[in-house]
Amino acid sequence: MTRVFDFLLYVFAWLCGLILVGAFGTFMVFLLTQGLPALGFDLIFGGTAIGDALLLKRVVSDGLLPAIIGTLLLIFLALVTALPFGLGAGIYLAEYAGKRSKSFFSLIFDLLAGVPSIVIGLFGFSLTIYLHKRFTFLTPCLLISALALALLVLPYLIRSTQTALEELPTTLRLTSAALGADQATTIRFVLLPQAAAGIFSGIILAIGRAAEDTAVIMLTGVVVSAGIPRSLFNSYEALPFYIYYMASQFSNQQELQQGFGAALILLSLCALLFTLAWLIRKKVTARLLYHHH
Amino acid sequence: MKKIIEIENLSFYYGKQQILDNISVGFGSSSIAAITGSSGSGKSTFLMIINRLWEELNGARMSGRVSLFLDHEKLDIYGRAISLSWLRRKVGMVFQIPNPLPMSIYRNLALPLQMAGMKKKDGIGQKVEMVLRQAFLWPEVKDRLRDDARTLSGGQQQRLCIARAMILQPEILLLDEPTSSLDEKAARKIESLLLVLKEQCTLLMVSHDQAQVKRVADEVLEMDGGRMSVLN
Amino acid sequence: MTKIWGKRVFSSSLLDSRFLFLAATVVGVLLTLSIFAFMVMLGLPLFSVHSLTLLLTQAWAPDQGLYGVFPFICGTCAIVSLSLLIAFPLSLGNAILIHLLAPRRLARFLHQVVKMMTGVPTVIYGFVGIFFLVPLVREWFSRGSGMCILSAALLLALLISPTMILVFLESFSAIPATHLRALEALGGTRRQKLLHVILPGARTGIITGLLLALGRALGDTMIALMVAGNATAQPESLLDSVRTLTAHIALVMAADFDSIEFKTIFACGIILYLWTAVLTLSLRCLHFNYAKSSHDQSL
Repeated sequence: MTRVFDFLLYVFAWLCGLILVGAFGTFMVFLLTQGLPALGFDLIFGGTAIGDALLLKRVVSDGLLPAIIGTLLLIFLALVTALPFGLGAGIYLAEYAGKRSKSFFSLIFDLLAGVPSIVIGLFGFSLTIYLHKRFTFLTPCLLISALALALLVLPYLIRSTQTALEELPTTLRLTSAALGADQATTIRFVLLPQAAAGIFSGIILAIGRAAEDTAVIMLTGVVVSAGIPRSLFNSYEALPFYIYYMASQFSNQQELQQGFGAALILLSLCALLFTLAWLIRKKVTARLLYHHH
Repeated sequence: MKKIIEIENLSFYYGKQQILDNISVGFGSSSIAAITGSSGSGKSTFLMIINRLWEELNGARMSGRVSLFLDHEKLDIYGRAISLSWLRRKVGMVFQIPNPLPMSIYRNLALPLQMAGMKKKDGIGQKVEMVLRQAFLWPEVKDRLRDDARTLSGGQQQRLCIARAMILQPEILLLDEPTSSLDEKAARKIESLLLVLKEQCTLLMVSHDQAQVKRVADEVLEMDGGRMSVLN
Repeated sequence: MTKIWGKRVFSSSLLDSRFLFLAATVVGVLLTLSIFAFMVMLGLPLFSVHSLTLLLTQAWAPDQGLYGVFPFICGTCAIVSLSLLIAFPLSLGNAILIHLLAPRRLARFLHQVVKMMTGVPTVIYGFVGIFFLVPLVREWFSRGSGMCILSAALLLALLISPTMILVFLESFSAIPATHLRALEALGGTRRQKLLHVILPGARTGIITGLLLALGRALGDTMIALMVAGNATAQPESLLDSVRTLTAHIALVMAADFDSIEFKTIFACGIILYLWTAVLTLSLRCLHFNYAKSSHDQSL
């Protein structure tokens, strides 16, 4: 009886492993075989000369360049907006908040982290409708998308800042205090530099989140064809939306290929960011261990 | 003799536990006073009362009056008008386990000055060299100032920590068993450093090494069961 | 000389960095609450013409004047529960494999793969799903378009498994080594270790993983939108095409702003917000109780 159970457990666990790796492997192989042939300069720049496209002399109409630039702009704007609030709130929770207010604030930010991205997109959209009544020029656009994405990644930034600060050893605070530093000085000169790597890996994960999200931008201004946006109030293109659109609306084999190519580019971008965050995380852990030595 | 540190009716509690019980005591200037006693008798706590560092810990409470003679003036350091930063720069502290900050040797020494608002052009470099020479560290580290301070040996780390406290030119230096984590040779080096430093400021040291106390201390006090008595 | 030691007298200004940090926190909190407030505000006109019960129970047929989101609630529940049904045993098996059974190097490799999987954008799962999984499902069952509850649930299971596995693994390794040692000293087998020490000890972690995965599945838009088919009818089988609450929001966006049809998306938003809020709160209670009970034990 015992033997049978042991055997079954064994078979079950290995089967689960096989299924998961098999499924993910199949997924990757399919994506690579379909996407790799599509990769190339033509995929990104279409028929336009590369120099002209980069200098914005000519519009790239059938390449991914506008979508890639749109995604990069989104990431940049969302991060610039979210960072001060994320860092500030993270620092407040880790260093200043009392027990009760900390518990309350973290509950709220847990709540925010749990809100589905489509609901955040809906919020961005409703805000636009609301503001449109006063400022008629305001329609769903790059700015609105970036703000909504900022809200989406905010809890990640807060959490990573807070954890990075809280896991620093207490001796650091005591040492700094004994040297006459007040709390603000300790944070600025001692704690933040020490927590920088941890905070930075959180930022990279937030970038990854902003890069891949589709639901938020779908509701707040992304379109299939807009070229490179000329201002914050223009609509724009983005990689994940392009992939979504191609999935249902491709009209010929070439467009489908481009869809796979775009998927591969987005996946590589996310994998790159992910690996980077992982490497930094590893370095931090090594350093903290060294300190306890 | 003028008293630099004057303590009246000091009691201290950690949670519900009483650590110090109605202590009244005073220390002279430019001397080394040593506090001995069994571990857990509240010696470290006593030191932290003099620079108010205990306030960084949770759940502690104290009563009594602590006056220090700083800047040629007698001050009640628990009075309302005292700035903690100012006080802790005037009263330096060295801990039992060497605690260099996880950064370069140079930065460890420059940081207290920068945190006090000093700029590079005000001569931080010279000050760093000066205290390193004073701590007999200069020949050992002058070629590796950019190395992580934690690559130094235990004894070197502790001398670095003393140098770091001295760079702010404190009038009182508190030392919490500064040699207990070091070997005999490193401990002796620190002792000779302390004898030099006592020309500049008042040293208050916790130690349970009786031989060491005999070698360096001008005054010896014993802590027992939260009370303090003068030996000698 | 005294200058650089700072002022002896304590001073405090209102522009203290502390207040700036507090302000950042408060802005974050207000935004979180205003997400809900905005949806209620914009969805309110809907409740005045349409009672809440009707909205929650009726079918969706705008041409007949029926604006109920009930089919979408059903669709969401069907996809989410099926995906959890698939993903839970799969994740538990993988966690056991990595923690207990696999040789160390293989275990580390699997752990790494699982971590990588958490970084895959959902839209790519959806994209590959359409061109790989959907045709397969269509062939296997030779019924319908292949865009159905089953396809979406399979993909969603792939999306949420890594989250669960990682949480499970974390709670497995949080079990004190002394407990395991004690059992080993008594000659316990791996099976006994698993059944008597690891699984009971990781109970809170396992529930946490489940709830987190549930939240992830509930909030996903792209997979359901791309491969579940988006039919508005009440689903009757796993091979039926359905629309989830999230997909409904994405799809009705194109409608006229003032129509009742459009306003139902706020109802969906409110339902989703409250649903995930309940999940977050249960996680909080779970951990609060856990912290309390382990504290009692240690006393």
